[in-house]
Amino acid sequence: MSTPALEIHNICKSYGKRKVVDNLSICVNKGEVYGFLGPNGAGKSTTIRIILSLTKADSGVVKIFGQSVSEYKEKTLIHTGAMIEKADFYQNLSAEQNLKMLASMTKTPSKRIDEVLDIVGLESRRMDKVKKYSQGMKQRLGIAQSLLNYPKLLVLDEPTNGLDPGGMKEIRDLILKLSNEGITIFISSHLLSEVEKICTSMMIIKNGVVIREGNVKGLISEISDIYFTISVNQVDKAQTIIKNLSFAKLVNTDGEYLQITSEKDRISDIIKIFVDQGIQIKSVIPNMTLEDYFLTITEENSKGNNSRS
Amino acid sequence: MKFMLTLIKNEIQKILGKKRSLIGFIAMGVLIPVIMIAFSYSEGGFANELSKKAKGMGGGFLVVGSIVNGYFIAHMIMNFLWVHIPFLITLVAGDVVAGEGAAGTFRIYLIRPVSRFKILLSKLLAVYIYTAALIIFFGLLSLGLGVTWHGTGDLFVLHDGILILGPETALIRFLLAYTLAIFIMFSVASLTYMFSSMVNNGIGPMVGAMAVIIISIAISNIPLDIFITVKPYLFTTYFDIWMKAFYDPVPWDAIFKGIGVLAIYIISFVSISFWIFTRKDILT
Repeated sequence: MSTPALEIHNICKSYGKRKVVDNLSICVNKGEVYGFLGPNGAGKSTTIRIILSLTKADSGVVKIFGQSVSEYKEKTLIHTGAMIEKADFYQNLSAEQNLKMLASMTKTPSKRIDEVLDIVGLESRRMDKVKKYSQGMKQRLGIAQSLLNYPKLLVLDEPTNGLDPGGMKEIRDLILKLSNEGITIFISSHLLSEVEKICTSMMIIKNGVVIREGNVKGLISEISDIYFTISVNQVDKAQTIIKNLSFAKLVNTDGEYLQITSEKDRISDIIKIFVDQGIQIKSVIPNMTLEDYFLTITEENSKGNNSRS
Repeated sequence: MKFMLTLIKNEIQKILGKKRSLIGFIAMGVLIPVIMIAFSYSEGGFANELSKKAKGMGGGFLVVGSIVNGYFIAHMIMNFLWVHIPFLITLVAGDVVAGEGAAGTFRIYLIRPVSRFKILLSKLLAVYIYTAALIIFFGLLSLGLGVTWHGTGDLFVLHDGILILGPETALIRFLLAYTLAIFIMFSVASLTYMFSSMVNNGIGPMVGAMAVIIISIAISNIPLDIFITVKPYLFTTYFDIWMKAFYDPVPWDAIFKGIGVLAIYIISFVSISFWIFTRKDILT
């Protein structure tokens, strides 16, 4: 079996009394696009900072292509490209000057700068100072700098942050293209629909603890509950009915729209009950996305924690 | 070695890319010519003042001709501006590490396969190069403009009476004084650099370093027993060793003692910086 691209073994990290990452272990195989999901404050960025040796773990080991990052920072990071949160550059320097400076740290040939600028479509703006760039352009430049050293492992932390839908699609397409070229990608995001589209495996964490891990399709198929929105003419009556059902739960009400979660294959039962009670149904919209799944399991986890405490 | 030079070049490029780095050069570029012009109009006043002081020391002293020349003015400028130069150094040294923290650029710079030690060392050396460049610029401008404008001649220095140094000796003494000045300013740069490695904003280290310098100088000048006892151990006590370059004979013992104390402080400041920063979590 080949060495995984990224291994994290039982890392813990606390800031004061607050435990940010709690005994986290991850294994990302070569060629995978691995989604790392969690709500804000879940510990995603801290984990990524530990991977890239910006932050030291209190305990545990991070290995890139089999070598410990804390022991062999220079050897391990030479194969790694990364972009952490929003891309910040030296504002008074041009894109080309920024990339030249970063390339000089890995003795990367200057032709690579042309290549990465071409990949992200910034070649025509290479001489502009970064302070004149839009957020989308900065993010693309962020991807460009992460590709400078021909990485075998790409670590991207919220790469589409602050981008419009068009920009998000561009970055997503770029990630898929890089994945097709054989680069292993570890990507964190809270935009879950995005991860659903590009990732093969994923992990969900909350409060630094793993909630779920596995194959994206497999995890979706495991879902026992389903989300849907139903539009009715008698909202109060419908709400009362749902509250009395053991297999369904009212999540939210917005005007005539009720957002409901229920056991799989029980939507027809709910519709039948509504019709029997004289409630007119205007529409039923299934909302089954990874996002809903994410919400469901993080809520479940919170409840579990609360009941334990 | 070649790789370190690349890193230092990167740091110098970053320093020069910021407008604040030019403030020191611009300030000197404006102020020194202004002082030169002022000397042109008050030459007699200085000569009279010096004659009075000489007479006050006892014995007859007659100044024939002008004592104001390029060397004299360069020496006076150094006396006038010396206390202000640390501020110009802190502007850059305070920002060199903390500024990257504030701007978030460590997220792209520290994730390269280069040790933090090398990156920090390159930043420190870049700050030293900037410091040396500022003092050299100061020296070249004040001496160069002074000699071009007011010519050369004997250098009159007030120290236990009046010392008169010949033109050749004066030039060598200036060289020694500016070299010592660079070393003294390395201590200011190192102190500010230490503060810079602790925080994530460029203003804090600047204010912190200036506060330490002002308090130390104040303590040095208060004639109370406790402060007199502490004075030899304060690094600011040795900020004036450049002046000793103009004494006759040159008090090498005092100069080497000053260099030694400053070196201990520089090593301490730098060691603390490295100790802190190589362990620091980058959270910005």
